[in-house]
Amino acid sequence: MSKINKTKTAGIVIETLATFLSISLIIFFLLYLADANFSEAIRGFIKSSIGGRKNAYLFTTFSKMALITGMAIAALIAFRAGLFNIGGEGQLVVGGLVSAFVGLSVADFGLYGILLALASGMAAGAIWALLSGFLTIYMGVPLLVGSLLLNYPARYISSYLVSHPFRDVNSGLPQTFLLPKSVWLPYFQGTRLDVGIILIFLVYLFILVISQKTKYGYYSKCMGISFSFAKISGLPTKKIVFETLALSGAIAGLVGSIAVLGIHHRFTDGMLVQPLYAWTGIIAALMVNLNLWGIPLAGFFFAAISTGAAGMERIAQVPKEIATIIQAIIILFVVGKLGSLGSASISSGESDHD
Amino acid sequence: MHVSLRGITVDFGNLRAVDKVSLEANAGEIHAVVGENGAGKSTIMSVLYGSNTDFSGDILCNGKRVSWSSPRDAIKAGIGMVHQHFMLVGNLTVLENITLGNELINQFGFIKFNTIRANILNIISRYKIHIDLDELVDNLSVAQRQIVEIIKLLYRESMVLILDEPTAVLTPNEREIFFHSLRNFKAENKTIILITHKIDEVMDIADHVTVLRNGKLISSSHLNTTNKEKISQEIVGREIPRLNIKRGAYENKKILDVKDVIIKTNFNAKQAINFCIKKGEIIGIAGVSGNGQTELIETLIGIRRASDGEINLLDRNIINENTQTRRMMGISFVPQDRQRDGLALGASVWENACITKVNNKKFSWGSFLRKENMKAFSRSLIREFNIKVNGPDALVRTMSGGNMQKLVVARELSSQCPLIIIENPTWGIDIGSIAFIHQKIMDIKSAGVAILLVSNELDEITSLSDSAFVMYEGTLSKRISKGENFRELIGQHMLSGFNTYYSPTGISPDE
Amino acid sequence: MIEDFLDPEFFSSIARLTTPILLAALGGLICHRAGVFNIALEGFILLGAFMAVLGSYIGDSAFWGALSAILGGIFLALVFSEFHLRRRGDPIVVSIAINLLGLGLSTYLLRSIFDVSGVFSHPNIHKLPTINWPFLDSLWLLDLIFNDQSILFYLAILSVIAFHYFLKYHKIGLWIRVAGENQEALRSSGSNPVQVKFLALLICGIFCGLAGAQLSISNVGLFVENMSAGRGWIAVVVVLLCAGRPIPLFFLIILFGVVDSLSLRIQGLGLPQQITEMMPYIVSILVLVFASFRRFRFSSKTHL
Repeated sequence: MSKINKTKTAGIVIETLATFLSISLIIFFLLYLADANFSEAIRGFIKSSIGGRKNAYLFTTFSKMALITGMAIAALIAFRAGLFNIGGEGQLVVGGLVSAFVGLSVADFGLYGILLALASGMAAGAIWALLSGFLTIYMGVPLLVGSLLLNYPARYISSYLVSHPFRDVNSGLPQTFLLPKSVWLPYFQGTRLDVGIILIFLVYLFILVISQKTKYGYYSKCMGISFSFAKISGLPTKKIVFETLALSGAIAGLVGSIAVLGIHHRFTDGMLVQPLYAWTGIIAALMVNLNLWGIPLAGFFFAAISTGAAGMERIAQVPKEIATIIQAIIILFVVGKLGSLGSASISSGESDHD
Repeated sequence: MHVSLRGITVDFGNLRAVDKVSLEANAGEIHAVVGENGAGKSTIMSVLYGSNTDFSGDILCNGKRVSWSSPRDAIKAGIGMVHQHFMLVGNLTVLENITLGNELINQFGFIKFNTIRANILNIISRYKIHIDLDELVDNLSVAQRQIVEIIKLLYRESMVLILDEPTAVLTPNEREIFFHSLRNFKAENKTIILITHKIDEVMDIADHVTVLRNGKLISSSHLNTTNKEKISQEIVGREIPRLNIKRGAYENKKILDVKDVIIKTNFNAKQAINFCIKKGEIIGIAGVSGNGQTELIETLIGIRRASDGEINLLDRNIINENTQTRRMMGISFVPQDRQRDGLALGASVWENACITKVNNKKFSWGSFLRKENMKAFSRSLIREFNIKVNGPDALVRTMSGGNMQKLVVARELSSQCPLIIIENPTWGIDIGSIAFIHQKIMDIKSAGVAILLVSNELDEITSLSDSAFVMYEGTLSKRISKGENFRELIGQHMLSGFNTYYSPTGISPDE
Repeated sequence: MIEDFLDPEFFSSIARLTTPILLAALGGLICHRAGVFNIALEGFILLGAFMAVLGSYIGDSAFWGALSAILGGIFLALVFSEFHLRRRGDPIVVSIAINLLGLGLSTYLLRSIFDVSGVFSHPNIHKLPTINWPFLDSLWLLDLIFNDQSILFYLAILSVIAFHYFLKYHKIGLWIRVAGENQEALRSSGSNPVQVKFLALLICGIFCGLAGAQLSISNVGLFVENMSAGRGWIAVVVVLLCAGRPIPLFFLIILFGVVDSLSLRIQGLGLPQQITEMMPYIVSILVLVFASFRRFRFSSKTHL
């Protein structure tokens, strides 16, 4: 038996090394294509992901980590219940947009204004997610497709609103006016890191508790493993679907609010779409095989890749899109190791032969 | 054609599924291979059919060593197989299904459907079979699908027919006709290998019987040198536990009363369903699977909407309630498909054991779970039902089929509901677990629970139930009470749609 | 008002707007029938579009552009096969990764090879040839719709018919259908479902690559970052809706083309661009809703 375990362990080690080597080779090939100085690129990568003067870049990474972790949690709780909500992007965008509008109009309420802006962002995200749930449950549109398609109206409507009726014309860009300082999320003292990361941490704790300790967490887990099991056992499946989507959308909306109130202080067209926060969050959730404990680490990891790549672009002229490629490759190498995604594999329409 | 398997060994990971088994089948012979679930019957046949190429040992056809790289080679050599789960494609036509695997093509790879059609029409007129080649397989009954599988073999001119549990989907009457066909094939000098777990069938029709147990060859002998008792001993390897049936009388109190319910099925039947179950009574629903039993159950537990009628549980009409409410009001349910419907395989034992009881004050406090109590409860179920598992935190995925089923039964039987619906509770599990589960069912019957037992196994219905109905094409027969001819009467009611497609003497060549 | 809509440009733009989606959807259709849940069409198209520009620029001809677009599609198809068929990764996850890979690679290569970001256009990018059918010249409407279109437009139309017959009567077509319905039945009949699925993915790669080429080097002759802009998702929706049948697929795509073309017209009348660009997605959702009420046959398994 121990012999089997040994060969097994050796196999895993070799496989991990092989995976690591393949990924490194691909990255070097990409760097070669970009005609970059390898050592310069790598130094730039490391320095700007976790270094910088007064750790400035590390704080940038943390601030990105908050957003990515938030989106990862939003994806995770839906996937865990077997609901393939890949509409995080749309929920993020409407959350950010609504809290920008609310933020602009509640400048005089101080802290309450901030809370109101955050809450309305969450509500908007939740409503957007519930819309796809409504399409699924009552209109027969597959959630996978429905949630994804709703990304585009969110994207285009927000783009229209900030480039026409609510545009800050003088800024020259399609964006809203700058929010008054009174509704900015406060920074940690002496840094440019806003308290959004604390909000995300609170969300994380909240999700940990409800998924481990409550009926809802128990039910949604079982529903995620087998939808028909949940139905036959008499679980309130419809309610779980809507609760889960509302929660998932609210968290995505909160991330949008944090990006607006804490980082950019206005809503600029494409600012939440282009950095692929939603997709990175999904990838992060999948990378840790939907295990909540691993989420913060995965969030930090992908945030570091993203800021590191931005640094590499500054220092070694390597396009920062290398981060997207690296994310994709990592998840490809990890995906074979994951089990099927519970009843989420319903969406694949494929019968797993056992 | 004479086939022989010599010293076949198959490993699935660390598990040895077949251990040095040898087997000889002669032309013009019906060779039965018997054994319990998991004895290795299907595995060894997949070796002969070429769908499992990862084995050691030799296959010989007419004395020559052969090796297959895929079923295609075996098919070419004249070996055909009808799997227990038919290998048919629902939304393809009968013609396309028969063509698959033996496509006659032109030089561009297009299939010559006209030639193939003519060939098949030839076969079906020679054997007097009636079937529409352009019908979608989805629209055929189970018996008709089996005929399509057999036409497939005839079309490929197979000389060796491997039939895996062919009678599982047939009514007693259809079975007789089917056996006629087998005798006809035997007379045409075909080699027939019949996999079954029913000893009566072996005694009826086989010439030679091979017994497997736990992947090992136990015996292989001519039928006239062995007997029924000996074979069943060899299959189980020990005494078969006897069921302790104390058939207490039931009380005259209606627990479930189904009145004029119309069930939506794929059949056109619009006949209303009427029956009632009394306290401490077991009502059996017999019938070949796919005749509307699933729809009936789904209607009773609230997953499928009934269009009309009343379902009275303890004198309250529950027809508009959802599953959750119905369960709370006192229905528990053991589904057939434990892997999909009965259990969440990726969750732990305690998560599975308590799923229907979370609202119990013992197990939750407001929205919060009381996990310690849940685990303690699971431990007591594990003990009481003798479930072999490492404890309440173990994943259900790691359990054997019999233990999984025990867990489902344990959960549902411990719910103290006045009514339990049980669907094929012993499907695909070992004889020991079957006896245990049957005993538990009888125990709760004496405790006064009303039980609806839906089963495809005639023996299960006849030995457990007080009265039975037969379900056929979406309608229920009249009530058959337990009495002398219980088994025969049920058999008669499992009306046969078979005669329409077979001639009465089965598939027989036109002389 | 009506005349504003129905000017010649309206009709001729239908073919221009539908061809990329049609080509991609044909690729997706083959995967769907083979039981490969490929929702990475977006990434396939995007890389195809970039590769077309690259090939056309380097090889100095549209032919090399189309060929390199095909190679781009095949490359991602191979990646899909490796991680889904061989390593048995969940197809949805693999698709998400490949969509990101297509986006990342096309942008990265654009910046590192051509040293531009955003848009790349160059006189060296050769466009795909168009075909003029003289006999159509005098037939007003047919001339507008069918004449002087890119060569890939005609290929796409022919492929619709070819796919129909291929799936129905060809040996491989039958295998593809069986692979998608019941792969155990295929295995038991002696064919290897994995090989059949691999073939389907290759065909999909080729068609999506061509879809990309149609997008970048047919009318415009330039590459824009993320220029597929959700067309791959529309193709996925269309494949789902028509349950993998080529002829209904064709008519559905025409519907999308008409909507697209109409919204372009409306934009001409002063409606903001964002609203018109949103139309195809709104229509997709509406059609999905309509389809489920009409009980169109599409896999009930995909409901959640």
